[in-house]
Amino acid sequence: MTASPAVRYRVKHVTEVRYDALVKLARFNLRLKPAPWSGQTLLDYRLDVSPAPKTIIEESGPFVVNVSRLSLDKPTAQLVVTSEFTVDVDRPPPDPGTAAPTVAEVRRDALKARGLSAAEPAPYLFASPIAAMAPEIGDWASSHLATDNDIVSAALALMKAVHSEFTYDSTATSVKTPPLEAFRQRHGVCQDFTHVMIIALRQFGVPAGYVSGYLRTIPPQGRPSLVGADATHAWVNVWCGTELGWIGFDPTNAMLAGNDHIFTAMGRDFADVSPVDGVFIGGRGQRMKVAVEVTPLTVFAPNEAP
Amino acid sequence: MAGALSGMITERADDDALAGYAVPDPAADLFAAAPAPVTAAWRRMAGGLTELDPEGLAPVHERLLREALDLGMTFRLPGESDERPWPVSPMPLLIGTEEWAGLTAGLIQRATLLEQVIADIYGPQQLVADGHLPAAVVAGSPHFARKMRGVSPPKGRYLQVLAIDLARGPGGKWRVLADRVRLPSGIGYALENRLAVSRTTGSLLSEINVRRLAGFFAELRAGIAASCSRDTPRIALLTPGPYNQSYPEQAHLARYLGFPLVEGRDLAVSRGRLYVRTIAGLKRVDGIWRWIGTDMLDPLAFNAGSQIGVPDIFDAWSSGELAVANWPGAGVVEARAFSAFMPRLAEVFLGDKLLLPNLATWWCGQERELGIVRDRLDELVVSPAFGVEVAGLEGGRTRPGASLDAAERAALAEGMARRPIDYVGQEVVHLSTTPALIGDRFEPRPFTLRAFVARGADGEWVVMPGGFARLSARGDLRTSLIGEGDFSADVCVVDEVPVEQLSLLGSGQVPPVRRTGGMLASQAADNLFWFSRYNERAEITVRIIRSLLGSSIEVDGGSGRGEGSRRLLVDLLVRFGAIPPQAAGLRLTKLCAGAYRERELSGGVAALVSAARAIGRNLRDRVSADFWRVASRPKPRLDGESAQAILTATDAAIDRFSALSGLSAENMGRSPAWRFYDLGRRIERATMICRITRQMAAEGCTPDDLGLLLDLFDSQITYRSRYLVGPVRSLVLDLLVLDPANPRGLAFQLDRIDENLADLPHLGEGDLPEPPIRQFNATLARLRSLEADGIDDRQLQDIETRLLALSDMISQRYFLQYERADPTMQDALLA
Repeated sequence: MTASPAVRYRVKHVTEVRYDALVKLARFNLRLKPAPWSGQTLLDYRLDVSPAPKTIIEESGPFVVNVSRLSLDKPTAQLVVTSEFTVDVDRPPPDPGTAAPTVAEVRRDALKARGLSAAEPAPYLFASPIAAMAPEIGDWASSHLATDNDIVSAALALMKAVHSEFTYDSTATSVKTPPLEAFRQRHGVCQDFTHVMIIALRQFGVPAGYVSGYLRTIPPQGRPSLVGADATHAWVNVWCGTELGWIGFDPTNAMLAGNDHIFTAMGRDFADVSPVDGVFIGGRGQRMKVAVEVTPLTVFAPNEAP
Repeated sequence: MAGALSGMITERADDDALAGYAVPDPAADLFAAAPAPVTAAWRRMAGGLTELDPEGLAPVHERLLREALDLGMTFRLPGESDERPWPVSPMPLLIGTEEWAGLTAGLIQRATLLEQVIADIYGPQQLVADGHLPAAVVAGSPHFARKMRGVSPPKGRYLQVLAIDLARGPGGKWRVLADRVRLPSGIGYALENRLAVSRTTGSLLSEINVRRLAGFFAELRAGIAASCSRDTPRIALLTPGPYNQSYPEQAHLARYLGFPLVEGRDLAVSRGRLYVRTIAGLKRVDGIWRWIGTDMLDPLAFNAGSQIGVPDIFDAWSSGELAVANWPGAGVVEARAFSAFMPRLAEVFLGDKLLLPNLATWWCGQERELGIVRDRLDELVVSPAFGVEVAGLEGGRTRPGASLDAAERAALAEGMARRPIDYVGQEVVHLSTTPALIGDRFEPRPFTLRAFVARGADGEWVVMPGGFARLSARGDLRTSLIGEGDFSADVCVVDEVPVEQLSLLGSGQVPPVRRTGGMLASQAADNLFWFSRYNERAEITVRIIRSLLGSSIEVDGGSGRGEGSRRLLVDLLVRFGAIPPQAAGLRLTKLCAGAYRERELSGGVAALVSAARAIGRNLRDRVSADFWRVASRPKPRLDGESAQAILTATDAAIDRFSALSGLSAENMGRSPAWRFYDLGRRIERATMICRITRQMAAEGCTPDDLGLLLDLFDSQITYRSRYLVGPVRSLVLDLLVLDPANPRGLAFQLDRIDENLADLPHLGEGDLPEPPIRQFNATLARLRSLEADGIDDRQLQDIETRLLALSDMISQRYFLQYERADPTMQDALLA
């Protein structure tokens, strides 16, 4: 794996919600502002909400995630949320000089870590609201996750297995499809692939997190177009031992998360990092339209930010 | 009589009842191992039970079960929608002063320790940093709420009340089976068991100096109040709703403690404070005793899909304005894996050993422990470490290692190799027995005991002097509250000398005199109103059926009446939706039986009664036990379709409705709750009078028509005492519409509506009467301007329309405009 050049991106994410009737009161959790993470630097961020909410409270946590809590109390039939930021991504691939531990060592080290913070392995070891344990997925993945395999090779093999055995199909699943169902169909989108891979890893005691973020839009010359253009994206963070820490694996595109990947948040599964959730009172039906633009501004050599 | 009162009863020879009670090992039985004074109490209790009924013990048991049913004690097994009668045994477990003192010390030590562990997990997390507690044990607990870290409770109290399950081993040593921190389920049943037993056994319990429970509940209440910031706090019991498994228990507790029973939709958060929507507007809530899991409490802070929580309630407790029992996230310590670390944590925090050890537990997330469990599998039981289903233990069940066949062993070994952190091994529990009443004799049965601990007014721990025992002939007693075939028994602490007793209402300072009983949630007002409307509608429909078949004082009865009059009544049944139109031509008995049994059409008697019962489920905490007992019965059965059978059933139904009216009139305080109950009935009855009078007393009606009308409104006798002539239209109309002294007449209903409206809280600004009152004044004026001779269809229809509008206005003004918070759909644009 050769280092790709570092990139400065401009990201614009517009969410438009329309209600069939006037909404008297609405509360939202927006998880759109990138949380601090290695390999990237947030240069500016702007959140614009129309109509203007009564309050916006900015918080972070309880995982690696920023949350903007909106509260609207004026009757409205539509809401437009525009999130825009500039970010430098300079994420070199894992140092080939560092020997990767075995699956068994990772499992043991994960239990030795004495912390519960959002970047520690312990919170990502267990079943979570969406990523329920599924021995069936464990059985499928078992050949890749033998105890003596080194963790990076094991995760790469698992990632490639998802990529080759699953068909990308944006009509097969919805945001609510349980991962096990997507697994049985062998069809789905990035969210499904990510959940399946997370469950497979956890099934063997390897900590795995769900990353939400964005993917570079324009394919570089000579490379095929990447699935995930103009949309939010998801991939897997695998905890590869104390030395290597978290490494991103993108099963949708069978690649490591590198300088094409813009990190927004990490949680146990989609529910922890979903870009928008909340409740409203009064409106009946609702429709949501999302538009994402990811524009690379400048490309520069690693470690030489302009 | 004087002799009995002077305490000579203890001299009676009554030690025969337990004479035949034999156990192989006396140390392994609660009675056989008890010291002499306690054994005497056992003998007196058993003897006293046999003396209660000359027929023996079986009728005593039956009477107790009936008592339990009358108290509204029911439960549901998971996955069942019907409530089952509560299986309670008349023979309590008796524990002496000294043994109880030992248990009390151990329970208080454990509560103290759990409090400190929880405070550390949601505070400095020093236990994890120092390696006393693996991070994975905390993170793996399904009840660990990450978001609660750093959010501290008022006065630093994470726990207010908890239950601890205990087992007495064969050698007499007590052990902790489980800590129940999320929900102290069984606490209400302990109270009800005591109530049922003491009602059935007369003075027996006081003869053997049983400590009373009331003081504990007074402390529990004062303890929650002490965590609230205002001096006279409003504390509510937050329930998931009537379909929850332990709703009957929650309703009983709420009523006993005087806490309003509320659901999430009754509550709202504004500027960091919690409010309940009441008929008098929003009222602040200072504390909640929640019976909803942390994850479901707030759709914005936790599970976004929760429909039973309160949006933003997180803000109310994190701003320090709301006490919550127990503090959200406290349940983290319930995971079985914690048991493995409790002895060590006791050393760390208390510098002491556990007075009540828990079951020896090995968490397989540690290599040495995993080895022990593998090697000693046949002597141990294996359980999921965190209560969720794991590979090799189907349904998340605990399995004795020795019971596994080869295939199951292989599956378990594979699961434990992949995720050892999900498993614990525990020593096998052996249980002591206790004398249980089986049929008409006492036999030893294994038992577990659920004890309850709460903070009192001063924040110190108080142990309920008693508890809840679960007995079983077989099976695992460690799982839920009660299972198929199990039964429960009261637990009594007996002293050699009587101890000073407290009652819930009599302890502590005397509060200022109040005339109204707390607040009335809008939702509860709504339920009361519709409950009585449905019942009234059912009653009038039953009366129509009865009139059709003839039970009046007319010698010829219904069948002797004119065919035309009967057709008018049948037509009413069709219009009320009690029978389908095509049924109108059926034979009279078939048609009446159909109307009585109709469930599909909304106007059928069965449908109306079941609608009333469904609403009635929500009223459990609002009405007396007697009222509840009558209200919750299904409608009287109709056997066959003969006229006699139908009349028997309808008469029984009328008795039921009359019992409800009587109980509400004589037993309910004239609070706003009663006002709404009465309003519902009066508005429904008034509307029905208008409708039925229009049908039966139209221009050109026959004396038969009028006779039936008088029947329907129970006014035959009054009419005959006033007039010697047969039914005359103007005279009948005067009696049914205008005479304010006829309790079945329209004027009477309108006067009651007037009184009820005047007594409801005033919300509007200034002195202007509330809109429903203004609207109603016009209706009243309309009625009072009528003369019997001049009453026509148009006028009655006008009043009827106005009454329906009044019902709508009451609903808009006082009831919850049901504001369901819908989840926002989630971003679907994913690559």
